[in-house]
Formats: sequence, structure tokens, C-alpha cells
Amino acid sequence: MHTYIHNIQNKHKLSSSFSFHYACNHDFIGLLTRMLLLLYTLQNLSYKYHFSSTSHHYLSLLSLQTHTHTHSSALFLLQLSLFCYIPTSSSDLPMAVSGFEGFEKRLELRFFNDSITNNNPMGLRLIDFESLDQVLNEVQCTVVSAVANHSFDAYVLSESSLFVYPTKIIIKTCGTTQLLKSIRPLIHLARNVNLTLRACRYSRGSFIFPNSQPFPYTSFEDEVVIVEESLPKSFRYRKASVMTPSNSNPSRAWHVFTASADVEPDETLVVVEVCMTELDRVNARSFFRRKGDEGNSDSAGKEMTRLSGIDMINANAFICDFAFDPCGYSMNGVDGDRYSTIHVTPEDGFSYASFECGLSLYDGGHGDIAEVLARAIDVFRPGCVSIATTYNGEDYDHEVTKRVERVLAKKLGLKCRSRLMDEFPGSGTVVYQSFTPRRK
Amino acid sequence: MGGVLSSVLGGGGGDEAVAGNESEQSRVMKFSSSARWQLHFNEIKESSKLLVVDFSASWCGPCRMIEPAFIAMSAKFTDVEFVKLDVDELPDVAKEFNVTGMPTFVLVKNGKEIERIVGARKDELEKKVLKHRA
Repeated sequence: MHTYIHNIQNKHKLSSSFSFHYACNHDFIGLLTRMLLLLYTLQNLSYKYHFSSTSHHYLSLLSLQTHTHTHSSALFLLQLSLFCYIPTSSSDLPMAVSGFEGFEKRLELRFFNDSITNNNPMGLRLIDFESLDQVLNEVQCTVVSAVANHSFDAYVLSESSLFVYPTKIIIKTCGTTQLLKSIRPLIHLARNVNLTLRACRYSRGSFIFPNSQPFPYTSFEDEVVIVEESLPKSFRYRKASVMTPSNSNPSRAWHVFTASADVEPDETLVVVEVCMTELDRVNARSFFRRKGDEGNSDSAGKEMTRLSGIDMINANAFICDFAFDPCGYSMNGVDGDRYSTIHVTPEDGFSYASFECGLSLYDGGHGDIAEVLARAIDVFRPGCVSIATTYNGEDYDHEVTKRVERVLAKKLGLKCRSRLMDEFPGSGTVVYQSFTPRRK
Repeated sequence: MGGVLSSVLGGGGGDEAVAGNESEQSRVMKFSSSARWQLHFNEIKESSKLLVVDFSASWCGPCRMIEPAFIAMSAKFTDVEFVKLDVDELPDVAKEFNVTGMPTFVLVKNGKEIERIVGARKDELEKKVLKHRA
């Protein structure tokens, strides 16, 4: 729906006229109702009105003109034109004015491990659950499922995921959550278990509905200010970067802010963050609850994992899944010290899916990164994919980047449209690639 | 019954305890020694009572998260036996039951495993207990 208001000059006259254009797509009945209501209101202001209709390049046009003559400057002369437009193809349908925001904000906090000993190897995992739950309350999300192994705790949240390792926390939240409010309380809770912050990383893509975000998430500069205010002043190595492909439409940039006490990254796992939009509609249907399913989110989640093929992305991983009502899906995968996580917003018009994992580039036993990515993306067959890879302590390997592009082209017909790179002190190299299907 | 047995046999204190605080009427039994556990398991094999075993660890966040619900369930389903085993205290039993993720809930009847739930899935656990308690 496209609303358009022209103010036709004339401050000197007693009356002024507005032309009000209302272009809509398929909501003709609703529109007619609103028009009739408006007419009724205007009638009370004793207007004299007449109808006229003129032809237009749209399918039909109803033009309603109202005039009023009054000596009061508060009353206006209104001219209303009504356009009705019936779409002839799905590309004419506009994007939803606002829907659920799938794009996540991601926060990673890493701590010095000098207080981690054989007697006390658990670090952050010793923080009691009630305290964590309180922090999540501030962020406006809550735990819906969880699992753990010897390496880390994995929580599925109402709005994404939380991972707690002995010296590292990763929180990823979507929607309109207030993720940055968690930084100060988490640093405080860590101090209670004798852990000191070493590095912080905040990243996100570009929101589908940027205007629906609360402050400070309406502008990356504001987010950076808030993060910096929450961090120790002693963090000497800081960098903020917006990686913007020159040709993408809509522009999907990757935003990163890193800050650390050391220049050398301590993290051993490479992190890959995949964002997918315009999901294949048939594939997206798997993520809607079915009528007559048992009404249990856990078992419905398991069904979705199986039906969609998500369980085959990494057959070694244990999957903790959850199905939302009436639609939506989240899962955390646990495989040794490696995590993976998938979140799906299947609704047409703003469909979105993310896949993230921490892995080692050269450990053959866990699957080649390009194959893993191809399997994950194949679940959704998206119209648009972006991949952000953070090398951390691993040296950048250009062969890996090229292999990912080759495999996605060959197996999924996805062509790499842009590739950007940037260096972050204390956090390593970040490569940002964008893909769309190759036109046949 | 197990409590009486252990004091009759003169077992050392701490081998078996009721977990949770008294005010919640927790019926969750805890075993810290494999021998005690094996003894108990052999006993319950003979009956057709449903046994729910919670494999957890003190440092496992999700385990701590679901603990209140587990205790509440034990108070609610008095015809079902609820046992909690720490994987650090009883690593051999954890291995025998193939526990990799935590918490893992194993439902046992007549000495055989009939269901298993991995993760803090409260609704699913309750559903399965209801299903198999008869």
C-alpha cells in the first residue's frame, strides 16, 4: 500500500486543498470501507461533494472531490483521488510493511583463562541458571530448550540462541531484542566466577525492517557507542566496519565491531555466519506447525529437523530443536566442542533462515566447510545468501574461499556476486560473500 | 526401602540421599556409588514400576535449569521412581548407558530401556512419563 500526500500551496487562501492518493494492491474491499468511513466523517463538516471518474492507466479510478468554503483556517478543502490497482504478477506485491525480523544481532564475549585450572575447569558454566535467565529477561527473550555436553552448554531461546563455554559466551538474538543490554550484566557475572573480559565482538547483517528496531539498533554508529560504553577502557584494539557490497540489491551490508585487550586472537574455531532470504516457498512450508500434530513443541521440532533434512547437515551432531507456534523453528547442534545453530522465519514476504557454526578448517572428520555450507543452504534454496567467515586465530586461506564459491556454484547454482575482506585486530580476518542464483 | 537397606547393611553415609530440599517433598533418589546403584537397579528390575534416570552434572547449566521440574515431577508421579546420577561420580554407568549429551533421561521398565530424552525437554519428559507409568 502506498500512501501519498501532496500539499497544494496556498497559505493565503482561506482554504487549502490536499490531494490524497491511495494506491493499493489487493485490499480493494478494505479500502472501500475506509473511504466510506472517511466520507461519513467529512459529511459532518458540511461538505458539498461530487463524484467524477476519469480513466487512468491503472485498472480503474474513482475520484472523489470535496470542497468546503469556510472562513475558518482550520478547515480544509480536500480532494481525494482513489486508485485501485490489481496486481498482475507476484512481483507487483509489495514487501510487508512490517513483519518478524529474522536478521540476528550477535554478541561474543571471550574471557582470559588464567583462572581455569584442573580443579576449576568450568569457568562461565558455573554461573547459575537463574542469573543467566535474568540477563535474558533484560534482552527480552527466554530459554525454551537446552542441552549440554563436556565442552559447552547450548540454550535455544525464544529469539535465537545462547552458548556458554568455560571462557566464551555467544548470544544471538533476532526480532527487536535488546541484545547489547546483556554486556554489562554478563561481565559482572563472569567476575563473580573470577573471569576477566578479554575480547568482545558484535556483528549483524542488514535488517529487513530497519525502522522497526528500537534505539540504538536503528544505526550502527549508535550500537557501537553503546558497546564501547559497556567495555573496559583498557581495550586498546578496537575496530568498527560496515562491509557493503557495491552491487547488492537490496543493499545487504555486514556490520562488525571488535574490541580486545590483545592484538592476537585467542579463538581457535573459525566462525561462519550464513544469512538467507527469499526462502523457497515449498521448503519453507516444513517450518509451519501442522494441524493435528501432538501439540508438543519438542516433538514438532524433531519432525521439522527430520523432514527438512537439517539432521543431515552434520550427521555427527546432536540436535536440540524447537518448533514455534504457528510457525518458526530453531535448533542448536552439539558436536564435541563445535556448535551449530539454525533459525527459521518461514513467512512469505519476509522469510529468513540463518545457519551458523564454529568449526576447524582442516579437521576432515567433521566435514569440509564447503560441503557443510552447501547442505545447509540446500535445505532452504534461498533467493539470496550471504556468508560471513571469521578466521580468528586461523590464518586466512584463500583456497577455502574459492572452494566455497565453486561448490555453491556447482551444487546449488549460486553465483558469487561480491567478495569483501577486512582485518580486525584481536579477532582475525573476516570475509563477506554474497550469492544469488545464476539466471538460467 | 533403599534407605532402610543401606542402613541395615551399614553402608557409609552419603552413598544414597534424597536430592532437593525437604519442603518440595522431593522423591528423587541419588546414588554416588556404582555398587549401590547396581544393587538398586537389580531390585527394581523385578518390578514393573517405571524408573526415570536423570544423568546430569553439577556444571551443566541445562541440568540445573530442569532440576526444579524434575523434582516437581517426582512429587507428582508417586507411582514412578525418579533417580538422579552424576556423570562425574558414576562415569562407568554413564558410559554403560551411552550418555553423551546432558541432561539425558532414560526411562526403564523391567530392566529394559524404553525411552530416552536428551536435553532439558520438560514437556516431552512429562509426556513420556505419563505414557509409560502404567
